[in-house]
Amino acid sequence: MQILLISLYAFISDVDGLTFQMGLSNAIFAGAFTGIVVGDIKLGLAIGATLQLMGLGVATYGGASVPNYKAAAMLGTAFAAITGQSIEFAIGIAVPVGILLTHMGTLVRFVNVFFQHKAEKYADEANLTGVSRSNALCCLTWGFGAAIPVFLGLYFGSEVVGFVTDKIPVWLLTGLKVSGKILPAMGIAILMRYLPLKKFYPFMILGFAIAAFLNVSLVGVAIIGFAIAAIWLMIKNQGLQVQSQDEGGDIDD
Amino acid sequence: MTDSTQIKKIDKSDMRKVYWRQLFGIQVGWNYEKMMGLGYCYSMIPVIKKLYNTKEKISEALKLHLQFFNTNPTMAPFILGADIALEEKMGLENKDAVNSMKIGLMGPFAGIGDTIFVAIYRAIVFSISAYLALEGNIFGAIFPIITAVAMWWVKYKFLWIGYHQGQKIASGFSNSLQRLNEAATILGLIVIGALIPSVITVGVPYVYKRGEVTMELQGMLDKIMPSMVPVAVVLLSYWLLGRKNMTSTKLIFILLFLGIILGALNILG
Repeated sequence: MQILLISLYAFISDVDGLTFQMGLSNAIFAGAFTGIVVGDIKLGLAIGATLQLMGLGVATYGGASVPNYKAAAMLGTAFAAITGQSIEFAIGIAVPVGILLTHMGTLVRFVNVFFQHKAEKYADEANLTGVSRSNALCCLTWGFGAAIPVFLGLYFGSEVVGFVTDKIPVWLLTGLKVSGKILPAMGIAILMRYLPLKKFYPFMILGFAIAAFLNVSLVGVAIIGFAIAAIWLMIKNQGLQVQSQDEGGDIDD
Repeated sequence: MTDSTQIKKIDKSDMRKVYWRQLFGIQVGWNYEKMMGLGYCYSMIPVIKKLYNTKEKISEALKLHLQFFNTNPTMAPFILGADIALEEKMGLENKDAVNSMKIGLMGPFAGIGDTIFVAIYRAIVFSISAYLALEGNIFGAIFPIITAVAMWWVKYKFLWIGYHQGQKIASGFSNSLQRLNEAATILGLIVIGALIPSVITVGVPYVYKRGEVTMELQGMLDKIMPSMVPVAVVLLSYWLLGRKNMTSTKLIFILLFLGIILGALNILG
């Protein structure tokens, strides 16, 4: 029953992520939902958040395939609840699973070519509903593409994970804990590579300093950051206005 | 002569229909052959229904919009809006104008849209939600839903801006987006800078003991700078990512492995 519920969420959230994007399709929500289903929401929130941080800089730009952190959050939360292991251990298990599922998205995008061809055929016949239906049917490929691996992972995975946790040595468990703690660094590093860090690095140092030395919460830093960005925008806009006024004057002369 | 009588005006309800269709369908049909082509055509169907009434015209319009298309989904309504304005004025007489507008805008809009509405958006929204979620706050899971609904409004605005301004504004619009992009980058970098000490909690549990003397390494590090180890891990990852042949998947395994080793040796904890 729980497995079905989580698989159903996997189906719906993946479709949501490709359609209305109501914010259901991310590792945090996935972890929280699975947490509610298995009866430990804090566990789900923590696992989802850590995985979301790892994937912070990774997105499907132009349809690229990325590790499936959402499925990882669901499976990780479920396994942690079943085995009673720590959050960090669950993350250590979930991450390779997420990588394994990287190519589900690729598969779905291939299957959708079939619907594109169908639509092109309908276009020849000027069949509007046919074209609409072809597009809408792609919901099914996305949904099943997400739900089937999660279902199989939960159905067969729990026993495997239970077996593994019985045999796992203590040093490996402590090690995995540390891995879980340092993996979010990756998401931050990827973002640093993606954003124009060379041009704007002082702002990152500023953010770090406010949080690390003044102990301001992240929400507080975000508000300060918003103010700084707004001030920067004002100065920049003013500069442009002055410039264009000057130019206008020159033309008049 | 007869053409002018055939032209029907696109009204608000048609625009709304396109809006809901693109919200639902612009990405769902994404495929490796025409990418968003299927979704684009799907979104244009209310307009096709309104503007064209012969079988040939409908078929021609459907085929035109099933062509290859790909851009950032938040920016797509802008292009749809401009397309609607063009076809409302000229019908299918000037297919080249429609095509060149779509192809001309989709590239630059993809670049700028992916930066603002994917990279920076995610950096800010998910930094805050992950931080809250790590503290056990359920609002961490709800916050992305609120911002997502705000994005619906942005997309609706973009559809109308595209419709009213068409191609004319494209350059001016992308100028102001460029400035907005820089401001968003600043906010994004401030947030991820703060994220390092907020969410990475790894430290050095190792305590040096010799006779009577005990030294806690972490305490000494904290006096120099708090969150020294997290900063070091981030910088290491940043440096590794800049190396040739390094992928994020490889980096995951490096960090996983590094954590296991250093954790087992009680150097990090």
